[in-house]
Amino acid sequence: MKKKSKKRVVSLIIMVGIIIGIFSFSAIAKTTLNVLATKPQSTVIDNFGPQWEKVSGVKINKIEIPYPVLFDKVMTDFITGTRAYDLICVPADWMGDLAGGGWLMPLDKLKNEYGYPEWKDVTPAIQKVVKWAGKMYALPFDGDCHNFYYRKDALENPKYQAKFEKEYGYRYNVPPKTWKEVRDIAKFFNGWDWDNDGEIEHGIEFIAKRKTQAQWSLIDLAAQYTVLHGKTDKYHGVLFFDPETMEPLINTPGWIEAMKMLHELTKYGPPGLLSYGYSENRITFVKGTCAMVFDWGDIGVMEQNPKKYGSTVKGLVGYSPLPGAKKVWDRKENKWLSKYSQTNFLDFGGWVWVIPKTSKDPGQAYKFITYVTNPKRSLQEVTGEVYCGANPWRFSHFTGLDEWIKAGWSKKSATAYLKAIRSILNDPEAALDLRIPGSNEYYDYLDLYLSKVLAGKMSAENACKKISEIWENITKKYGKKRQLNIYRESLGLKPLE
Amino acid sequence: MLEKIKSKSLIKWYFILPTIIFFLIMVIFPMIWALRLSFFNWHAIIGPRMDFIGLGNFYNILKDERFWGDLQFTLFYVGMVVIIELSLGLGLASLLNRKFRFRNFFRIIYLLPMTAPPIAVAALWRMLLQPDEGVINKLLVAVGLPLVKWTTDPSIAPISLVIVDVWQWTPFMLLALLAALQSMPQDIYDAAAVDGASRGQTFLHITIPLLSPIITTLVLLRAIDAFKLFEYTYGITGGGPAGKTESLSYYIYSQGLSYFNMGYASALSWVFLLIVLGISLFVLKSMRKEMR
Repeated sequence: MKKKSKKRVVSLIIMVGIIIGIFSFSAIAKTTLNVLATKPQSTVIDNFGPQWEKVSGVKINKIEIPYPVLFDKVMTDFITGTRAYDLICVPADWMGDLAGGGWLMPLDKLKNEYGYPEWKDVTPAIQKVVKWAGKMYALPFDGDCHNFYYRKDALENPKYQAKFEKEYGYRYNVPPKTWKEVRDIAKFFNGWDWDNDGEIEHGIEFIAKRKTQAQWSLIDLAAQYTVLHGKTDKYHGVLFFDPETMEPLINTPGWIEAMKMLHELTKYGPPGLLSYGYSENRITFVKGTCAMVFDWGDIGVMEQNPKKYGSTVKGLVGYSPLPGAKKVWDRKENKWLSKYSQTNFLDFGGWVWVIPKTSKDPGQAYKFITYVTNPKRSLQEVTGEVYCGANPWRFSHFTGLDEWIKAGWSKKSATAYLKAIRSILNDPEAALDLRIPGSNEYYDYLDLYLSKVLAGKMSAENACKKISEIWENITKKYGKKRQLNIYRESLGLKPLE
Repeated sequence: MLEKIKSKSLIKWYFILPTIIFFLIMVIFPMIWALRLSFFNWHAIIGPRMDFIGLGNFYNILKDERFWGDLQFTLFYVGMVVIIELSLGLGLASLLNRKFRFRNFFRIIYLLPMTAPPIAVAALWRMLLQPDEGVINKLLVAVGLPLVKWTTDPSIAPISLVIVDVWQWTPFMLLALLAALQSMPQDIYDAAAVDGASRGQTFLHITIPLLSPIITTLVLLRAIDAFKLFEYTYGITGGGPAGKTESLSYYIYSQGLSYFNMGYASALSWVFLLIVLGISLFVLKSMRKEMR
C-alpha cells in the first residue's frame, strides 16, 4: 500500500513537471505581444495577425475593449505601472496626454533601425499627427476627417428640386454649400417616403449620443462659423482657444451659432437620433433611412457592402467635404463677417498605433504595425476589403483604383469618394483637432453640455458659457502657460516667452 | 511557548486572522487612503505631486452642479426601484406560495434575469429600447400605439433604467420573500381563520408584520446595491440624454478614472459613502420603529 502511494506521488510530480516544462518552453519559444484596441480597429489583428505570427514567430494577444473606456484603461495602466500592453491603438488627438505625459516610446530610433514602408507615401497631414514636439510617437493607420454624405436619388431628383424651390424660394446646391441649406433640405426631406420604398425617411442624421464622439458633430459646424482663414495667428486659423491668452473661444457667437444649428437639425432626423452613436449612425444611413449624414469615411465603405452591412443605398450616395457658412465670427472686429467660409476639419486625427515606454518588446511591436500598414495591406484596409475602420491616408490609396474596384466599389463611387477625402487631407488650411493634455476631459464636458442642448434642456448660450468656465478650470489645472505653449505648437506657432 | 500557541483560546484567532488581514488590506486601508486623498489636490494624469487643500474638495462638491444633478437622479432611481421591486416581489411571492400547476417552472423562469451579468442586460435592453429600431417600439407601433423615446427623452430615460433594474432584480425580492413566506408558522393563520379574518386582513395584520425583519433587510440590500448603479448608465444611455441618467457612481468613475482627479474623486466617494450610510441608518431606524 505504502509502495503504491509512493509511486503515485512520484508519477504525479513527473506529470506536473512535464506540464510546467511544456508551458515554460512555449513561453520561451514565443514572445507574446499584448495588443490593446477597440472594435473595428482590432479586426486588423484578426485579418493579418495569424500571417504575421507565422512570419515572425511572435504571438499576438488581442485585448479588445469598448471605445468609451479606452482612455481610462490606457491611462490607468500607465499611471499604475501595470505594463499590461505592448502596443495600443488610440486616437491621434490623445497625443497631448500620452506623448506629452511621457508615457510613449519615441519611434524615430526604431524607424531608423527597421525602416518604414514608403514613408513618402504618407500624406503630410498624417505625418503631422503622428508627431509630438518634433518627434515621432505613433504609427499611422487611418486618415480621419468628417465627410458629408447625401442621397443622390433624393437631392439630385429634378422633381424634388423644383418642389423645394417652390416651397423655400431658392434652388439648393448639390452638394449643399452651407449648413443653413442643409437645414432646409433636411426639413424638406423629413418625414415622407421620398425613395418610394414604402417606409418613411428622414432628413439628416449624425452622431448625437452622449459618450459616443458627438462633440465632433458640433465641431464640424463650429469650424465653419469660427475659423477665419489666413496665416495662423491670434485671430486666424484657430478654433478652440486664443493662442495668446489660452482663453476658450467656445463662448463666442460662432460656437453658439453652431450649437443652435445642430440642435435645429435634430428636429429633422429620426425620432431616436439622440441615441445614435457612430455605429447606429452608419448602419441606419446605409439602410436608407436618411437623406444626409456627416461622419468619417466608414460610411462609404459600408455603403459599398450590402452583404455585410445590409446597405440598400449602394451607388446612390454622393460625397463631399463639409458644408460651410455664409458668415463667420470675426473676433478682432467683434462682429459677423458676411462672406462664404468653408473649413475642413481633421476630426480625431485618425487612429494611430503607439508603443508604451514599458512595452516588453518595442521592436516586435513596431515591426507588426509596419507589416499591417504597408502600402499593399493598408490599401486593402481602407477599401473595406478587410475593413478595420481605417480611411485613406497614403497617397497610393488615392491612386490604386483597381484595388477599390476589386473590393466591390464602382469606379464612379470610388472616384467621387476619394476626391472628397483627398481635398480635405490636402487642404493646407484644414483645422487640426484639439491636441493638448486633458483633451479627453475638455471634450467630455463639451459632450455633456452639448447633450443638454440637443435634448432641449439648456440654451446654447448657457451651455457655451458653462463649458467655457469649465475649460478655463481644466487649463488652470494643467498649467496655463504649459497648455498655451503646447496649443501654440499644435497650431505651428512658436511658444511664447 | 508551544503550549501557549496551541492553546484553545488562540486557535480561533488563527482561523480568523487571514480574514482580518484581508479585510484590513482590501477594505479598511483603501478607505483610509481615500479619506487622506480627499484632502489633497492630485491629478494623477499630470504627475505624482499632491497638494494639501484641507476641505477644499468637499467645498467644491457643494458647488458642483453635476454632483447635485446626479445625486437627484440616483435618489429617484433608488427610491423607485426599491418600492416597485418590493411591491412586485411581494405580490409574486404570494402568488407562487400557492399551490398550482407549473409552480416550479414559473419559479425558475422568474429567477433567470437575475443570473445574467448586468452589463449584458444593459446591452440587451439598449437594443430593445432603441427608439427607431428597438423591438419594444416596433411592437407598440404594430398595435397602433405611438413611438416612445425610451432613451432619448430626458424625462423618460431615467424611467427606462428603472424598468431594466426592476426586470433584473425583482426576482431577488421574490426569492427572499418566497422563502420567508414558506417558513411562516401555519398555526397563526389557522387561528386568524377561526377568528374570521379575511384574506386581506390576514395579509396586512399577520403576513406583513411577520415579514418586516426580512423586508427591512431586503430594502437595505437592494437600496445599497441600487445606489451603485453603473452598468445600465454605461451600457444603455452613457449618462445622457442631457446628463439625466448619470448616476453618482458613474460620476465618481469619470472624475477618478477618466479625468484622473483622484483627490476630488476620493472626496466624492466619501460623501457618497456617508449618504448611503445615512439613508441606511434612517431606513433601519424607521422600520424598526414601525416593527415595534
